[in-house]
Amino acid sequence: MPVINNPTVRKILRIIIPFLVVPAAVLVGAYVFEDKMYAYVSLVITILAIVLFISGFEKRRTGSRRMVIVVVMTVIAVIGRFVPIIKPVAAITVISGVFLGGESGFLVGSMTSVVSNFFWGQGPWTPFQMFSWGMIGLVAGLIGKYLKTSKPVLYIYGAFSGLLFSLIMDVWTVLWYNDGFSWDGYLAAIASAAPMTILYAFSNVIFLIILFDPIGKKLERIRTVYGL
Amino acid sequence: MKPLEKYNPAVLFIYFLLLASLVMFAANPVMTMIAFVAMNSAAVVYAGNGLGRAYIFYAVIFVLTSLANPVFSHNGVTVLLVVNDNPITLEAVLYGVMTGFTILSVLLLFRVFSTLMTSDRLLYIFGRAFPKLGLLLSMTLRFVPLFGRQRRKIENTQKTLGLYKNENAIDTIKGKLSILSAMTTWGLENGIVTADSMSARGYGIKRSRTSFSMYRFERSDAFMLCAVLLSCGFIFLGIAIDKLKTDFYPRIELSEVSAYALISYVLYALIAFFPFVAKLAEREAQKKLFKESCDNSVNRERIEKRDSV
Repeated sequence: MPVINNPTVRKILRIIIPFLVVPAAVLVGAYVFEDKMYAYVSLVITILAIVLFISGFEKRRTGSRRMVIVVVMTVIAVIGRFVPIIKPVAAITVISGVFLGGESGFLVGSMTSVVSNFFWGQGPWTPFQMFSWGMIGLVAGLIGKYLKTSKPVLYIYGAFSGLLFSLIMDVWTVLWYNDGFSWDGYLAAIASAAPMTILYAFSNVIFLIILFDPIGKKLERIRTVYGL
Repeated sequence: MKPLEKYNPAVLFIYFLLLASLVMFAANPVMTMIAFVAMNSAAVVYAGNGLGRAYIFYAVIFVLTSLANPVFSHNGVTVLLVVNDNPITLEAVLYGVMTGFTILSVLLLFRVFSTLMTSDRLLYIFGRAFPKLGLLLSMTLRFVPLFGRQRRKIENTQKTLGLYKNENAIDTIKGKLSILSAMTTWGLENGIVTADSMSARGYGIKRSRTSFSMYRFERSDAFMLCAVLLSCGFIFLGIAIDKLKTDFYPRIELSEVSAYALISYVLYALIAFFPFVAKLAEREAQKKLFKESCDNSVNRERIEKRDSV
């Protein structure tokens, strides 16, 4: 794995990629190309996610090990998407973010979207989905300390990430139905998606209750044993 | 005619990309209907499995998009009815219906796209341009079936050991969770081994890598690429200089019938129906081949009989 040696560059990349470059890419993709170039936008976001992931570690030696762990978590999330009705994807992304770091969480979230859409159907929604799941993982990593120590905070964050996912995906819904963004349409989309939002929040909390401790313990162990 | 699957993946990718953007860009009823019929026929021959069930979903999407436009947009001069002081106009309804057809065509196109552009073909294209990304994607795609197999092994082992019960729902969930737990541990350990093994074999060395499927760029690929680029360019030019424009608001104004528009429609139909025609030609060729081989075997039997007598 390549390593970015300069700590300042790493720090800058870790901030501007998720909060500036990726949202800009998603919105430019949706507005300027009007969803037509979604394949390229998905590709660009994947590359950005990998750059972000690379800027998350310092040592070359553990790079590819860490990458494979991210791949394994992604596969678990992809398989999890086949669970009917309640989906554990966001919960697994949160767990990855907390135990492997925010950058890994972002990569797990966005990769899960791309890979699982090979099975569920790629489309103009892919970049938005990548961004929302990615952000869920990244934020989980940023506030990982609190999520690890306090269960109520964890469950609140789980419910909140369901809401976050819905809010970002509704932007896509509005852009797709109308030619351009309108607040009326956005509010209508949020209202009509409310049952789904509740379902997302509910399934996130359920899967965090079930999976957080067991999978977290395993990830901790792997990190200790293999020195990640 | 060469079957579509035999073309170079890069050519196929460009073809689908251009066709998809034409389907989405061209706000022209004639072209929308051409695309809709063409994509339906292509989906039936290429992605027929489960298409019936998908149509239920498509019907819902179609109704939603057709209804959404007149509800949100009140432009247009022909008022059909007034609901809560909001006029529902004929123009908005028709525009909604056309958007519905466009979205359905795009969804059907994606369906055909995902059957034709299998993961190895996509990796063939992107693995060269972006080797790291190609490797990451191919590893993930490999792990999915691998995990499926391992899950079955663990499940069978647990059943044999008598650890797995599925008498009621709670037992089933508990059983599934213990499988997931074993899967996670195994997956993580196996992943580390894979990573170490990969770096031992030189993963990350800056050299050109090969991919699983090899495709050559043949003369027919070049021909196809030129034909697609030229005809799509012609149609895009027509859209750019307003030869194919249809105004919906304030009132519907179809584009004037011109030689340019007619040629565009013919070219569009040719490229949109190409997958369908290629498949039909392939089936015909197969039938002919089958028939010939049958005839041959009959002949051979006759000859053998005659010889034995």
